Parts: sequence; C-alpha cells; structure tokens
Amino acid sequence: MKQQALSNFDMPWLPISALIIFVVCFCFYTWWTYKKDRIDQYILMSKIPLEDGEERKDKV
Amino acid sequence: MSSQVESPPVGKRESFSYDDNIVKLFVIATLIWGVVALLLGVTIAFQLADWRVNLGLPWTTFGRLRPLHTNAAIFAFCGNAIFAGIYYSHQRLLKARLFNDVLSQIHFWGWQLIIVSAAITLPFGITTGKEYAELEWPIDIAITLIWVVFAVNFFGTIVRRRERHIYVAIWFYIATIITVAVLHIVNSLEIPVSFLKSYSLYAGVQDALVQWWYGHNAVAFFLTTPFLGLMYYFIPKAVNRPVYSYRLSIIHFWSLVFIYIWAGPHHLLYSTLPEWAQTLGMVFSVMLWMPSWGGMINGLMTLRGVWDKVRTEPSVRFMATALTFYGMATFEGPLLSIKSVNAIAHFTDWIPGHVHAGTIGWNYMLISGVLFYLVPKLWNSELYSKKLAHTQFWFATIGLILYIVSMWVAGITQSLMWSAMDDAGNLIYPNFIETVIKIVPMYWVRAIGGTFVLISFVIMIINLYKTAKAGKKTAEKIYEANALDDSSIEHNASAHRKLEGWPMIFAVLSLIAILVGSGIEIIPSLVADKYILKIEAIKPYTSLELYGRDVYIKEGCYLCHSQTVRPMSHEVVRYGKPSNAAEFVYDHPFQWGSKRTGPDLARVGGKYPNMWHYRHFLDPRQVTQGSIMPRYTWLFENKIDYSDLSKKLQVMKQLGVPYSDEEILNAVENAKGQAQGIADELVENGKVPEKIVQMDVVALIAYIQRLGVDYSAVEEEESDEAASVK
Repeated sequence: MKQQALSNFDMPWLPISALIIFVVCFCFYTWWTYKKDRIDQYILMSKIPLEDGEERKDKV
Repeated sequence: MSSQVESPPVGKRESFSYDDNIVKLFVIATLIWGVVALLLGVTIAFQLADWRVNLGLPWTTFGRLRPLHTNAAIFAFCGNAIFAGIYYSHQRLLKARLFNDVLSQIHFWGWQLIIVSAAITLPFGITTGKEYAELEWPIDIAITLIWVVFAVNFFGTIVRRRERHIYVAIWFYIATIITVAVLHIVNSLEIPVSFLKSYSLYAGVQDALVQWWYGHNAVAFFLTTPFLGLMYYFIPKAVNRPVYSYRLSIIHFWSLVFIYIWAGPHHLLYSTLPEWAQTLGMVFSVMLWMPSWGGMINGLMTLRGVWDKVRTEPSVRFMATALTFYGMATFEGPLLSIKSVNAIAHFTDWIPGHVHAGTIGWNYMLISGVLFYLVPKLWNSELYSKKLAHTQFWFATIGLILYIVSMWVAGITQSLMWSAMDDAGNLIYPNFIETVIKIVPMYWVRAIGGTFVLISFVIMIINLYKTAKAGKKTAEKIYEANALDDSSIEHNASAHRKLEGWPMIFAVLSLIAILVGSGIEIIPSLVADKYILKIEAIKPYTSLELYGRDVYIKEGCYLCHSQTVRPMSHEVVRYGKPSNAAEFVYDHPFQWGSKRTGPDLARVGGKYPNMWHYRHFLDPRQVTQGSIMPRYTWLFENKIDYSDLSKKLQVMKQLGVPYSDEEILNAVENAKGQAQGIADELVENGKVPEKIVQMDVVALIAYIQRLGVDYSAVEEEESDEAASVK
C-alpha cells in the first residue's frame, strides 16, 4: 500500500525532462566530438602533457 | 621533453619556474596520512574479528575510530595525493607557476589543520552522525574556506597560463572543485547548538536523500574525477605517449559528470524514498557503466605498444593495475545498484568489499603509480629499488584480494542467512547473532588482508624515503614558453575550441551539468512535505530521549545498526512493520545507517526490558553469547550533561519539531523525571547502584526504548493513509 501510494507521487515530468536533457546533450556532444574536421586539433591537444615548456640552460 | 607540440599563433617568449616545493609537501603528507588511515583500517578490522581489540576505552572503540578511518583515507590520504598530483600537473599543463605561493602554503597547512582537528574530535565522539560528513560545523566552515583558497589558486593559475587549450585532465579538476564545493555546502547545512554540536537542517527522508546525494558523489567527485584527471596526465607522461583517444576523453568527461550525480538514490533502494526516485537512481547507475569503462579503456589503451613497461616500470605497473580495479569496481557498483541485487547486498559486508576495491584497488594503486613517477623527479633522484616496489605491489594486491573475496563470502552468507525462511514462513535463523558468528572467520581474513596492504604501504614509504634521501640538490629549473596575448587568439577556431579557452564559462557549464542531476534528486526532498503526511501518533522525542539519541550518535551506533525496515517478508518477520517516511520527520539527522553488523533497531523499542539493555551496554556477551559489540562501560560513569538540553530542544523547534515553550523550559526537569523512572526500575530489578540515574546509559536506554514504539502502535489503516499522497 505504501509503495502504491508513493508511486503516485505527482512529479513524472521531473525524471522525463531530465532524461530528455541528458539524451539531447549526449547526442550533441558525441556528434560534435566525432566531427571529422577536428582530428588535427585532437592530435595537438593530446600531446600537451608531453611538453613541460622548454628548459632554459643559461638561467641565472 | 621528447615531443614537440605544434602551437597555434604565439605571443612573446617568457621565462618561468614551477613551484615544486608545495608538491613535495603534499607528497610527504600523503605518505604520513596514508599510513595513519591504513593503521586505523587494520585496527577496526581486527576489532570486528575480536571485540577485545576495542581496548575498553571510549576513544578506541569501533564506533569512534571508523569515521576517523574513513575521513583519514578519503580526505587526508587521497586528499593530499590529489593536491600533490593536481599542483604538479596543473602547472605543467598550463606552463605557468601556481597563482600564488602564499595561497599554496595556506592551502597546505590549512588542510593539515583540518585533518588534525578531525583526528582530535572524532575519537572524542564529536560528530554530526552523517557518514563521510561527520565533522562538526566549525571544521565544515574551515573546509569551505580552504577549498576556496584552493579554487582561487587553481583558477588564478589558469588565468595566468601560457597554453591556450585546457587539457582534459584540468576539466576533471574543474568538475571536482565545483562539485565538491556544492556537495559540501548543501550537505553540511546545520544549526549549531554549541561550539561542537549541531543538528542537520534536514530530517528523515529529506536528510537521507541529501546525505546520499553527498555520500555517493563524494566518491564520484573526490575519489573518481580528480583521479581520472591524474590518470589522463600521468599515464601519458609515464609512457611518454599521448592518450589513446582524446575524443573518447571528451565523451568520458561530459557523460561521467552528467550521469554520476544522478545515481545517489541507489544507496536508498527499498527505503521510504519515492519509488520513482529509487528507479531513477538505479537506471542512471547502470548507465554509469559506459563512461566509467570508456575512461578505463582509454587509460589502458594508452599503454598499447608499451605493455612491457607494466613489467619493468613500477609507476606504470601500479597505474595499469589501478585502472583494472577501477574497471572492476565500476562494474560492481552498477551491478549492486540493480534492485534485485541490492536486495541481497545492501546492509551486508559485500558493500565494504566493493568500497575497498575502489579505495585500495583504484585510489591507493594510482597514488602509488603517481608517487613512483613524482618522487624521483621532485627529489632529482632515481627510484631506490624496483624490487621493493614490486614486493609492495604483490603485498598490496594479495591483501586486497583477501579483503574483497572475504567480504563477498561474508556478505552473501549474511544475506542468505537473514532471508532464509521455511515453508511455514518462519525464519530459519531467527537469532541475528547466528549470522554474525558465521562470518567472524571472514573478518579475520579481511584483517589479515588489510595488514598486507598496510605492510605494502610501509614498504613504499621506505622505498620513497631512500629515493628522496639519495636526491641531489639542484637550483630551481627555469622554463620558457610563449605568453598568451592577443596574437595567440585563434580567431577562426570552432566554438568549443574557444570554449576550452574560457575556463570560467567551462566551469559554469560543468556546474550546470551537475546541477541538473542534483536538482532531480534534491527537488523531491524540498517538497517532501507534499508526500509525507504526519501521523498524529508520531511524537517528538522527549528531552531525555533526545539526549540519549546524541549519545547514540556520539558512539557511532549507526555504523553497525540500521534503523529502517525494508518491505521484504523476512525483514518484516524479523523486525516488524516496514518503515514509513512519516516515522522520521523529527530525526535530525536521520539514522538509517548503511550496514548491519548488528540487527536493525527500528522496532527495538519495548522489545526487551530496561535491564536487558543495561546489561547489554555493560557487557553484550551477558545477554548475547558470541556478540562482537564492544563494552560501553564509560556510559555507566559519564554523567548526563543537562546544560545544553533546553538549547537542543530550542534548535529542534527552529528546525520544525513541534516542541512547546513549556517543554523547552522544563526540558531538564522532564529529563530528570524520566531518568528517575528508568533508574528506579533498574534498581528494583537488579544490583544497580542508585547513582545510575545520573549516567548517560539511562538516557541511551530511554532513546532505544522509544525506537519504533509510536509507529508500531499505529493501526495498519492509519499508517497506510498517512503514506498516501495528498
């Protein structure tokens, strides 16, 4: 009885709208991420950790 | 470094240095607090195997040390490791020194002060009674202030950067900083009674929802996202090659940040939380599988072509193992969130097993990998001994496997024994202690496994100490990079490329992502009054019971006893009527618990006479042979402190508990009267000294005897009506 009563909780719009927001966002950023014209940028970005800056040898 | 990055348009050449001293300090703190956390963990593991290890002292009992262990492991050990890793990688990813050296020092010393405060207050029983958020309000404020210092230092460094693009590791750090701030502030809202005592702003279901939104996401945004950021930096660094798929890292980030925050209600399945919220938590927990494994695969695939380093390089070996355990733990987590699996696993030892697969397997292993990379670099040295590192690895791995497997066995044994019923509907193991005695051997195995992990950590400390000691002092290195100025702005870049250069807007978007999920979880609790009707028969605690409840919280009883009966036949037969949301409306904070080392107490009121409880607190084995509960002899020596009682009722009234002015005014008198009644009965029935009327144990008995009494007296029809929706 308790579960039945709680299942009537009157906010079905809440999870449904949340789900829609998630699906829309997910589709958008997946599409955007996998656009072919961005490959070069990704290669560049992925190398950032490998570069600490150039060490200066003639330092004070 | 080995790989030259082709940069976009550049500004003028600038020289700079990195602040590695602060990283060193955080590394040292990580090692010190790590051994403390593990020592505490091993101690409480042995306490569960043999109650005598509680030593009979208040500040060494399980209920007080367990919060200290979790806080030390999460916030001291992992926290310091996170700061060390973030400060090292953040500077290098942005090619800029940290924003302000003084802020860095304030951050470090402030954080250590917070940890020391926790180490002092928790053993003294100064706690809010909310798991993983036990620290009292002055420390909560200190955490907030230090977190702000960290954030200013972090974002200030971004502002002064020389790298236009913000690498994915920093996205994870941004999400961590923003989300932890939101979680901590919302969950810590409380009204102080005194300098070291407060009551949660929320009650019952509302408090449970907020607490597990926090608790779940503390794991997500303190033990997962910052470590993923470290993984995205240190694995490519250790193997000197870029991450396997930068695209996957973007999908990984946004999906994880968006989904993780929704999954909190999976801690409250079969509770009085609305059914749809439970289902939502379950569905999103299962969805979480995808981004979690996306990250794991991305990390492991970065090792393609250099798998031999897993065998030869300690840092790579530890990080690869960490990812493997991350994959295992993030497979097990969603599995445990499925309602039918959760019905078996919840409240059992399976859950600590799962948690330690994450904290030891993922966090400790990754921290080890990061430290093996960092320490030789920071101290300008070579690793002292690879052999020692490999010995450490095997001690840690074997110890962890012993831990996990013993807890699987213990958890499933408990669950099967709790739910075993014969054809006539009777419990096959009606006495809870039977299920405890059965799993004590597994507690020994767990304690031995934990000891192995502790030994492994000590080996690492020796190895790293020797490494640092052999280091040669050199002058601070100076680096050069091109400044970011107008000439470096990519005018034709894509929208998101520009977004990646706007950290504040990026941070706001991350905040929105976590707030959407948070809103879904929090809104129901904000409107809790609409679906929880008050039952007339449920009355607030008397002043003595309220004091007794504080003793219950102080001793950490909630860490072994739950206070919520799930709507399952075996629980109803064992404990009584399933819990109802209306029962908890005056519970600031809620005390549902998350583990049943001992039985549920939701319906214990009136089940046993006062004398039974008296003897039970004095020595549990007097009434329950085989009990592993410690003795609470100091409750028979500590006098009831009536000084704050009226104030406590007053604060409760502010929180919405309907105490009358008369009740507040006469709080002490009423409490003394009730205590006298209990004491008279005890004195009459046994060899109990009359002075017992003044002692804490009487208040605790008063509270225990009240649990579930009001609701049990409510007729079925009335309780159903109360549970219905307006």
